[in-house]
Amino acid sequence: MEEPVRICDLMHKGVIFCYPDDNLKEIAKMMHLNHLRAVVVLHESGEVWGLISYMELIPYYGENLERFRAEEAMRVYQIKIDPQWPIEKAIDLMIKGKFEHLIIVDPHAGMKTPIGILSSYDIVRYVSKIKIGHFDYMLKLASDPESS
Amino acid sequence: MEEKVMQLMRRGVITCSEETNLQEVAQIMVANSISYCVVTNPDNEVKGTISTRSFLKGFMMDPEKTKARDILLPYTFTITPGSSLKEAVGLMSKKKIEHLIVVSDRPGSKAILGLLHAEDLIAKMVKD
Repeated sequence: MEEPVRICDLMHKGVIFCYPDDNLKEIAKMMHLNHLRAVVVLHESGEVWGLISYMELIPYYGENLERFRAEEAMRVYQIKIDPQWPIEKAIDLMIKGKFEHLIIVDPHAGMKTPIGILSSYDIVRYVSKIKIGHFDYMLKLASDPESS
Repeated sequence: MEEKVMQLMRRGVITCSEETNLQEVAQIMVANSISYCVVTNPDNEVKGTISTRSFLKGFMMDPEKTKARDILLPYTFTITPGSSLKEAVGLMSKKKIEHLIVVSDRPGSKAILGLLHAEDLIAKMVKD
């Protein structure tokens, strides 16, 4: 029998974060340079406070981004997700809340300390059954005349 | 001068047919590092798009038996190369979508010219 898939099996371990006082220019740069679709906004205590994704940033197109802080643009994040939950539970939450990303918190810490992120793209990667690091191999196979 | 969609859009789109199965669509998206796939019919007309969000709804289905047409989002929001970027941003924010398909503005033409993605807007915001 197949093992049930848990959130921790598919999530990205570790998070890239900013603080509520960081300006949107710095955050946009961080996302662009690291090809990130979202960054976590952490309170100075280390607790999750919100999330900034493309959808939170693009309304500021044409504005001077240095004038706005993360706190003004972020989507406040209040749910607590345990990495041991089955993936179906996470997907259900993402559909109902229209979330593209779920921040996974440490279940043993008292406060909401982030330990990873689960994005809808992780679900696509799971369905594709392509393992990370296998793209070069696939491309080589496709371009190698001997492989056909 | 007002900035236009044509200045920022990606030329061409990655497509699949309505008959492509879910696993193959996922492979197309992962291998090309994209978060969407445009679904077209044999006449190359847009039938809809599959985004990462579509996979949430399709997760419980058999990825080898489920076809693109079963989970696609019928696409009703398009933009033309001559539209202003401000208009495009407004549409993306209002509809909460990360990409807009760019179609020809010639009367009667349904050709897909490209795509405007939120990522491209962010790249521009960083440079400005």
